[in-house]
Amino acid sequence: MKNLLIAVALLASSTSVLATDTPIVGNVQTRCLITTDTNGVFGNPLPSKLSTASADGGVVPVVRYDVTLADAYLAKITTPTAFSSSPTLTDSVTWTGSTAVSKTSDAGMSGYEAAKVTYGSTTQFDLTIAGSTWFSSESTAVYGVAKSFVGGSYTAIVLAECIAK
Amino acid sequence: MRALLLLALLPFCNAVAHEMTPTYPTFMKSFMAGISVTTLNLFNKRKDVSYYEIGVFTDEWEPVPFVSQYTIIPMKYLDTLSFDVYVSNLSLSSVEYICSVSQIQAGATVSSKICSRVK
Repeated sequence: MKNLLIAVALLASSTSVLATDTPIVGNVQTRCLITTDTNGVFGNPLPSKLSTASADGGVVPVVRYDVTLADAYLAKITTPTAFSSSPTLTDSVTWTGSTAVSKTSDAGMSGYEAAKVTYGSTTQFDLTIAGSTWFSSESTAVYGVAKSFVGGSYTAIVLAECIAK
Repeated sequence: MRALLLLALLPFCNAVAHEMTPTYPTFMKSFMAGISVTTLNLFNKRKDVSYYEIGVFTDEWEPVPFVSQYTIIPMKYLDTLSFDVYVSNLSLSSVEYICSVSQIQAGATVSSKICSRVK
């Protein structure tokens, strides 16, 4: 009888240990996540012009950067300077582009836009605050001197980089 | 009506992401003499990307010779992958950045590149 009671007591205690010991482990590390929120679409407001501006019937691509550590990353966004795929074009294409902060998760990020550095088709932002920042990049391509673009499908690539400082 | 509006917006909101950790990798001695190794993790949440290219660079963005299981990493959607980067101790001091770049397929309009920094 005594042995039986001891056995029951041991079983009960081991069961309770199993029931309470359910660890959930995790590891938080510094990271940068680049998310394509919106893929861009070219509008064709004039025969010689392709533009992602909404006023031209396009859709502006939006890229979101999530950083978990302040002052650890630079965001560099490069607007296209060539088509990655297009019909055969016989004349030159003139590209213009710009990138701007469109939304932020923290009020302190409001200074990103004023502090941005632009060189060539690349715009650089210093991500000094942890959180999410949305960047929108407008691009315009003009074909020749008011020449009509050849019919077909056109694709151009925006390069979004997150470089550790 | 709201549901219809949401359905109309969904094609423009297909959030896709690319992540590489750690931000500051450190090299350690490998099992081979004269060779150091570091391990990085890549996460592919981009449906439109199946391959990532790995590169190792100096602070002037000059390429540094390295060896890895992959130079082009095939990754399925939502895959997480750890990979090792081996660098000769002779060129270790010049290593500054280890980068992964998404390889764009037809239809994608944003290429993503994440660089970790070796301090």
